[in-house]
Amino acid sequence: MTGSPSTPTGRTCESDGRMSTVTAAGVRKVTLYREAVLSEAGSEPAERVDRAAVAAVLPNPWLGTGPATDLSGRAATIAPLLAKLLTDRLIEALGGADRIEAFGKAALVGTAGELEHAGALIHTPYFGNLVREFLDGESIICFADARAEAGEALIVPMWHKTHAATRSHYQTIAARVSDAPRADEVVVIAAASTGPRPHARIGDRTTDPVVTADNLESSLT
Amino acid sequence: MRVRKIVTIVEEIRSEGGREVFPTARVAVVAAVIPNPWAGQGFVEDLQPGIDAHASDLGALLAPQVMAALDAPAEAYGKAAIVGLSGEVEHGSALIHTLKFGDHFRKAANATTLLPAVEKRGPAGVVFDVPLKHVTDATIRSHHQTVEVRIADAPHPDEIVVALAAAAQGRPQQRLASLSTEQ
Repeated sequence: MTGSPSTPTGRTCESDGRMSTVTAAGVRKVTLYREAVLSEAGSEPAERVDRAAVAAVLPNPWLGTGPATDLSGRAATIAPLLAKLLTDRLIEALGGADRIEAFGKAALVGTAGELEHAGALIHTPYFGNLVREFLDGESIICFADARAEAGEALIVPMWHKTHAATRSHYQTIAARVSDAPRADEVVVIAAASTGPRPHARIGDRTTDPVVTADNLESSLT
Repeated sequence: MRVRKIVTIVEEIRSEGGREVFPTARVAVVAAVIPNPWAGQGFVEDLQPGIDAHASDLGALLAPQVMAALDAPAEAYGKAAIVGLSGEVEHGSALIHTLKFGDHFRKAANATTLLPAVEKRGPAGVVFDVPLKHVTDATIRSHHQTVEVRIADAPHPDEIVVALAAAAQGRPQQRLASLSTEQ
């Protein structure tokens, strides 16, 4: 049997007297889900890959506000704290930013909020740029979002952090917090992977033939 | 035994009931997705050879990982066996209800009590709750708690998910009178 432990997750240090990231954003819960595929289709993948998704549960900052509300102010305050918190946990859980090859992000908004509230926390530079920077990436970050009841699983897409079109690194991880989001909460998620899919073997742009509707005419008719 | 997947879950609870939880409550789960050792064999009367072959290895695999994930002394603990749809619940029970399995965790956690457990059968993606009790006194009410787990693609029909769970404390905001007050 194999499967050595990776590094444990970190915890927020408040002993230095500064208000912690978690407290400042009002985060009530942080969950880490990490998995390592040791065998797939009966054989060991060429390399051990760890995938992780970290979710933070926080009150929806815009609860009860209407669609005319400007979301930028609180997004600029809260999103950077979440980017730091989530990437700190990912880096610790996966053994360093240099081990991370793919990344993704997601948000779930509770039923009393707008999907736009979820988007405000992940789709601006105050989150995305910082996640990219902390994880040493260059690519735009792929995403998922949804409005849902507590306990809904969200499939978070990931792709390569510096070469997004790298087909071997198109992969997903399921993220779920059992009791969140409540109607008045938001769950913000960052995900990362240390490598490709197990047994990735569907070629890449460099190996693809030219495929157009015209030259497939025979098989389309 | 070929382990298909190892899953680690860590929950940090910072507030509950609108009040801060300090220090942060931590609960960790580590699960191994394994082939059901008795898959495809019909009704196996004697499960002991399979228990002897696998239970201790599973305990030795999971115990250090759940302690590392918790990253703190364990005050409460529990275990789980979730059998895929083609197997018997008895197959999961066989792997976890033996000292060969649990003693690894008891030793790693400096624990003395029996491990509370969940055993059930379900499809891949089934949600299960792992019960936890205090590691040295199962009557300590503050430490009765559960942690919820789901692995999206496990167990397959011929697999078993075997898991250990550990908590660094009792329930967040625990404030029930102890059992002794009712005796």
